[in-house]
Amino acid sequence: MATAMFQQCIGTIQLNSCGDEWGSCKKFRNYSLRFISRGFALDVRLLTKGSFISSRSKLHLVHALSSHSSLVDPVSSISDGANDHQKNISESALILIRHGESLWNEMNLFTGSIDVSLTKKGVEEAIEAGKRISNIPVDIIYTSSLIRAKMTAMLAMIQHRHKKVPIIRHTESDQAKEWTRVFSEETERQSIPVITAWQLNERMYGELQGLHKQETIDRYGKEKVHEWRRSYDIPPPKGESLEMCSQRAVSYFREQIEPQLQSGKHVMVAAHGNCLRSIIMYLDKLTSLEVTTLELSTGVPLLYIYKEGKFIRRGSLVGPTEAGVYAYTESLALYRQYLDEMFQ
Amino acid sequence: MANAMLHQTVGSLQLLGNSGIHGEVGNNPVRLFPKGFKVQVGFSKGGAYSSGERKFSSIRASASQTSVVDPVLSPSNNDSHESRKKSNEAALILIRHGESLWNEKNLFTGCVDVPLTKKGVEEAIEAGKRISNIPVDMIYTSALIRAQMTAMLAMTQHRRKKVPIIMHNESEQAMAWSQIYSEDTLKQSIPVIAAWQLNERMYGELQGLNKQETADRFGKEKVHEWRRSYDIPPPNGESLEMCAQRAVAYFKENIEPQLLAGKNVMIAAHGNSLRSIIMYLDKLTSQEVISLELSTGIPMLYIFKEGKFIRRGSPIAPTEAGVYAYTRRLPQSIVGYNVGPLARF
Repeated sequence: MATAMFQQCIGTIQLNSCGDEWGSCKKFRNYSLRFISRGFALDVRLLTKGSFISSRSKLHLVHALSSHSSLVDPVSSISDGANDHQKNISESALILIRHGESLWNEMNLFTGSIDVSLTKKGVEEAIEAGKRISNIPVDIIYTSSLIRAKMTAMLAMIQHRHKKVPIIRHTESDQAKEWTRVFSEETERQSIPVITAWQLNERMYGELQGLHKQETIDRYGKEKVHEWRRSYDIPPPKGESLEMCSQRAVSYFREQIEPQLQSGKHVMVAAHGNCLRSIIMYLDKLTSLEVTTLELSTGVPLLYIYKEGKFIRRGSLVGPTEAGVYAYTESLALYRQYLDEMFQ
Repeated sequence: MANAMLHQTVGSLQLLGNSGIHGEVGNNPVRLFPKGFKVQVGFSKGGAYSSGERKFSSIRASASQTSVVDPVLSPSNNDSHESRKKSNEAALILIRHGESLWNEKNLFTGCVDVPLTKKGVEEAIEAGKRISNIPVDMIYTSALIRAQMTAMLAMTQHRRKKVPIIMHNESEQAMAWSQIYSEDTLKQSIPVIAAWQLNERMYGELQGLNKQETADRFGKEKVHEWRRSYDIPPPNGESLEMCAQRAVAYFKENIEPQLLAGKNVMIAAHGNSLRSIIMYLDKLTSQEVISLELSTGIPMLYIFKEGKFIRRGSPIAPTEAGVYAYTRRLPQSIVGYNVGPLARF
C-alpha cells in the first residue's frame, strides 16, 4: 500500500540520486514534497500554505539512510533513534516534570528520599501536566524509584494522545526480568519503556527526614536549616548536599539519558525538585549560585530540544486550552499534526 | 472532656462488678455489659447506619488495665497487650485493581508492569471512598505499578490521614535512605510493603499477545484451558495452582501474623493472586475458585477474629444508605474519627 509506494520512491531516489522520480510520489499525497539528500540522509520538507492546520491528508515522513531504506510510520521515524547517521540531523525532545504535592508536603514535613505518595492535588497536577505534553512525542521514560514520581509519569501519560503503552522495566532479579517479558514484537513496538532509577531520587535529607519544618527550625535554628536547604554544598546531618545530589543525578543523566537523546529518542524525565534542578544546571550551564535560587514549578513540564549535541530550552508547555502560538520545532509541529489526523 | 467522663464510667464499672451499667455518653444511651473482663459498647438506633454527625466512643477494658484508647489505635496498640491478641478483631480489605492499558487493548498482561487507564484510576478512587471509614494499619501490594497506584489512590480518599509510606529494602542504601527520624511521624505512618508474591499470575509466552490472536494460534480450547483450569500453565507460565501456592504462602507467613497481632490490613493486588487468597480464607475447592470472579475496584472486607476469617462482603459507597452492619467494633472505629478529642488524624 503506502508502504510499497514509498519504498519504491526511496529505491528510485537511491538509484537516480534525487532525479525526477520523486515526482511519482507526488500523487500519493496532497502536499508536495521535496526530497533533499544531505549526505546519506534525506529530509522531508513539507511545503504547505504556511500554517499547520489539521486536515485529513496522510503525511508520511521518510528518513532514508545509505544502509537501508525503510519506510516507517512517522511517529517511529521521528522516534527511531537507532541510527547513528541521523545524529547530526535529528532533534529529540526532552521533557522534565517535577511531581506535585505529596502527603508530607501537605503536612509540612521534610520528605527527602522517603517514599511518600501524592495527595489528591498532586494527582490532579500530574493529570494537568499530562495534558500539556499530550502532543509531544515520548519514546522512553525515566523516573526515580519513588512512587510520587512514578505515579506522576503514569498519570501524565494517560493523557497522551498517541496511545502507546508505558511499561515499567524490572531488573531487580533474574526472576523479575523473566516474569516481565513481553512475547509480541508488535506489542513491544507500541510500548514505551519506563526505567526507574534511584539516582533520580530526591535529595536525601538525612536526619531531617520526617521532621516537621517548624520543629526543625526551633531545634536547630533558622539559619542552620536555611543553610542546609539552600546552600550548594552543606549537607544536613547524614544527608546529601545539593552538590552530592547533583553529582549522582547528572552522571546518571549523562551516562544513561543523554545517549538516548543522541540516538534521536524522545525522553521524559519525571522526578523531584533537587535532582531536576541539578540536571537543569547541567543543561543550562548554571553556576552553583544560580542553581540554588532556581525554583521549579510542580506539575508544569519543561521542554528542551536536544539538537546537535546542544540543549535548547523551550520553556514550559502551555495547556491545551490556551491558543498555541508557541512553535516548538518543525518536527514537533509535524508530530502534532500527525496526531491530529490520527484522532480526527 | 469526653475522655475523663469515660474514664470515670469505666472506673465505676469495675467496682460494680457484674451488673450492667446504664448511662449516657454524649447524646446516646449506652449499655455496658461486662463479659469476662471485656466490655463492649452496644448501641441501638433506628437500625440503619448512615453517615452522620453522631459522636461515639468505644470502650475496651481488659483484666490488666482499664484504658480508654482511641478506637483507631486500639487494634494496633498490640505491643503491650499480649492478653488481647486473641480477642482482637482485625479488618482485612482486599482490592483488585481496575482497568489497565492492556486490559483496554485486550492483551494478556500477567506480570508485565502495565499501568492503569483513566478508568482504572477512577475505579481506584471509587474503591477508596468505599473503604474510607475502615481502619488500615498496614498495606500490602504486589510489585506492579497498577496495584501500587490503586492502593495509593484509594488512600487519598481515606479519612484517617495517616500517611502510607512505601518500604524499600532492595539494597543497604535504599534502607538507609528510607530512615524516618521522627517518632511522631512514624506513628502516623502506614507501612506499605510491595511483594512480588502478590503479583498477578505469570502468563508466560502469552504475555503481550492479543487474546483473539492467541485463540487463533493455539485454538480456543487450549487457551480456555490455560485461562480457566486450576493446574495447567501456559507455556513458560504459571498455573493458577502455582500462583496460589506463592500468594497464599506469602499471606500465611507475612500477612496473617499482622492480623493476629490486631493490625488492620489492606491488600491491593490482582485477580488471580486475590482469588488464591480468598480460596484460602473461604476454604474453597479448586473447582470453586476457578469460577470465582472478583469485581475490579470493589473492595472485599473480611474480619479476622479468633483465628477465623469472616466474610463481610463489599463495603458500600458512602452515598448509599448503610444497612450493612460490619461489626460492632468497626462502626465504633468509624465513629472514632468523628470524635474531636479522641481522634488522632
